[in-house]
Amino acid sequence: MIASSRDSASDIGDTQSEQFRTVALLRFFLSNEFGLIVLVVIFAIIFSTLSPAFLSKFSLYALGRTSAVNIMIGFSMMVVILTGGLNLSVGAIGVSSAMFGGWLMQAFGLPWVPAVFGGLAMGAALGAINGIVIVQSGLHSFIITLATMSIFFGVMIFLTQADSYREISPEFAGFGRMKIQGVVSPLLLVTIGVAVLLSGLFRLTSLGREMLAAGANPQAAELSGIRVNRTITLCHMLSGVLAGIAGMMLVARTGAAIPSMAGQLGQDWLLPAFLGPVLGGTLLTGGRVSVLGTLLGSFLVTMLTSGLLLMQVGAFWIQTYLGLLLLTAVLIDLARRRYLQRRKLV
Amino acid sequence: MSQKLWQSDWFGPFLVTIAAIVIVSLFNPSFLSPFNIQILLLAISVNAIIAFSQMIIIAIGQMNLSVGAVGGLAAISFGGIMEVWGVPWPIAAALALGIGFLAGIANGVLCAYTGISAFVITLATLSVFKGINLGITEAQPFYEIPETVKALGNETFLHPLPWLVIPVILAAFLLWNLLFRLPLGRAILAVGGNEHAAELSGISVPFIVIVAHAVSGLLAALAGIMLVGRLQIGQPTIGDDWLILSFAAPVIGGAILTGGHVSVAGTFLGVAIVAIITQVLVLFSIDPFLVQVVLGGLILWAVGVNRLREVRAHRKSAAGAR
Repeated sequence: MIASSRDSASDIGDTQSEQFRTVALLRFFLSNEFGLIVLVVIFAIIFSTLSPAFLSKFSLYALGRTSAVNIMIGFSMMVVILTGGLNLSVGAIGVSSAMFGGWLMQAFGLPWVPAVFGGLAMGAALGAINGIVIVQSGLHSFIITLATMSIFFGVMIFLTQADSYREISPEFAGFGRMKIQGVVSPLLLVTIGVAVLLSGLFRLTSLGREMLAAGANPQAAELSGIRVNRTITLCHMLSGVLAGIAGMMLVARTGAAIPSMAGQLGQDWLLPAFLGPVLGGTLLTGGRVSVLGTLLGSFLVTMLTSGLLLMQVGAFWIQTYLGLLLLTAVLIDLARRRYLQRRKLV
Repeated sequence: MSQKLWQSDWFGPFLVTIAAIVIVSLFNPSFLSPFNIQILLLAISVNAIIAFSQMIIIAIGQMNLSVGAVGGLAAISFGGIMEVWGVPWPIAAALALGIGFLAGIANGVLCAYTGISAFVITLATLSVFKGINLGITEAQPFYEIPETVKALGNETFLHPLPWLVIPVILAAFLLWNLLFRLPLGRAILAVGGNEHAAELSGISVPFIVIVAHAVSGLLAALAGIMLVGRLQIGQPTIGDDWLILSFAAPVIGGAILTGGHVSVAGTFLGVAIVAIITQVLVLFSIDPFLVQVVLGGLILWAVGVNRLREVRAHRKSAAGAR
């Protein structure tokens, strides 16, 4: 959109192109990404002055490692939100994939690389089930993924009898505990790599474009030759794979595959899954996505959580703060969009 | 509108319920023993209120993820007020209901005046309410529940009918009366059916949304209070596992998730079906972990059936018009 307004500006004259440039600049300052960067910086300054331990090597390492998982959970929800749908089963898929990967390692003694791919394939398969059922039934993804969340988690807990797999290959657990330069977790690098791939998908490939088009307006997309059903199913598969990556990251971090690692039915992942994309400016009605925004949003949430925990403001109240944060974020976003609309900047 | 008996929402679930009762009692006669009926009714009572709490929101075409969190907050408030301040239980129950009511109003106001989807709003308030619950209790239950409350939560007033069925019958009657006999309830269904048309015909949509959420909060709190009596303890985890059930029962009862169409009797029968299946898994010593799978499967089956009925009704009315 910015590009197109610049193009038309070039032949109108200097004063107007100047105007367009300030508009573009203003739009950048009003963008979600910029706001998130400002918030991250502000809170980093606040936390580090209030508690010097915040900038210690260990604290930064833990922050990176935790945010790696939370960002991945956010991505997993983001790729479904962009179709205008939801995926309540991210937690259930993540845990199921992680348990499957753990089982492959423990029961067959598989090395970690094929076991991880097995886990991700499980995530893709469960995501595909979601996608196919949603597309074929024509029902809203909310109710379908609510049901599959219960089914996936129930089957997983039935098959595992709620037991953990603790015989994880040492290399894999070592990967989760590794420190590069003493501060950076390799998990964070994995997440950044995935973020780059996702950006590439949505910016450079026609498949990514088709996903966005199918999310923005399914009828128009169908008419312009996109196979909308197949695209939406692919989005759900991708969501399953990303949830699987998040689950396998948790396995690497804790050194065990634990059925309760995302809470009852995987519900504990729901809030982080929505916080990242919503803070990052992904439209819940679909068709617009911001990989960088989701990354920053999830990172901000993780930083707030760990900062508040470090300041010992009462671990039990954290959930309240996160809920208030989500409310504030959507309200600010609403105000921002109304402002942009009134100034006719959108 | 002359709707035939077998076309009504509750008829299918009714047949399923009767069939389930007959089959299960043939295999296991102890199923119909007074003691088992009492257990079954206790489970149905609390779950029915939970389902009603979600049903009223489905009626306006929204969803309320915070049903469990409101119930849990009311439950620990009920226990806490009695234990810490020594307040008699009816007053404590009224205060806890008030908390649920206020929580519902908060949900309603946010949904009505921001235009943000109820999903995001109630996800956020779910976290806020659950956080307050954990902040107050620090995950420790309140143990000192008066004997009267424990008795009301478990004993029968007329063997095998437990006390807990009384609020359910009252709530079901009041809800049916509200939705199908009072103008306010018709307005609720109208908003769910077509918000724009409702607005144009002079209904204040924000007001209706707030009313529905307030009723939902009140019912969720009632379920939480009843559960404190039944568990004999003010557990902070009350409400954590309500989400799936709260949607399953109304949907089995024929509710259309886009709004405007719910059934009180159908929802109640949906709860009964879920309770019977859960009991069957226990009676036949099938793995209780499978309950989740069955619940999920029931939701899929029910939305599929509802969808088919919708399509058929649509086709029929189209044919009639021709």
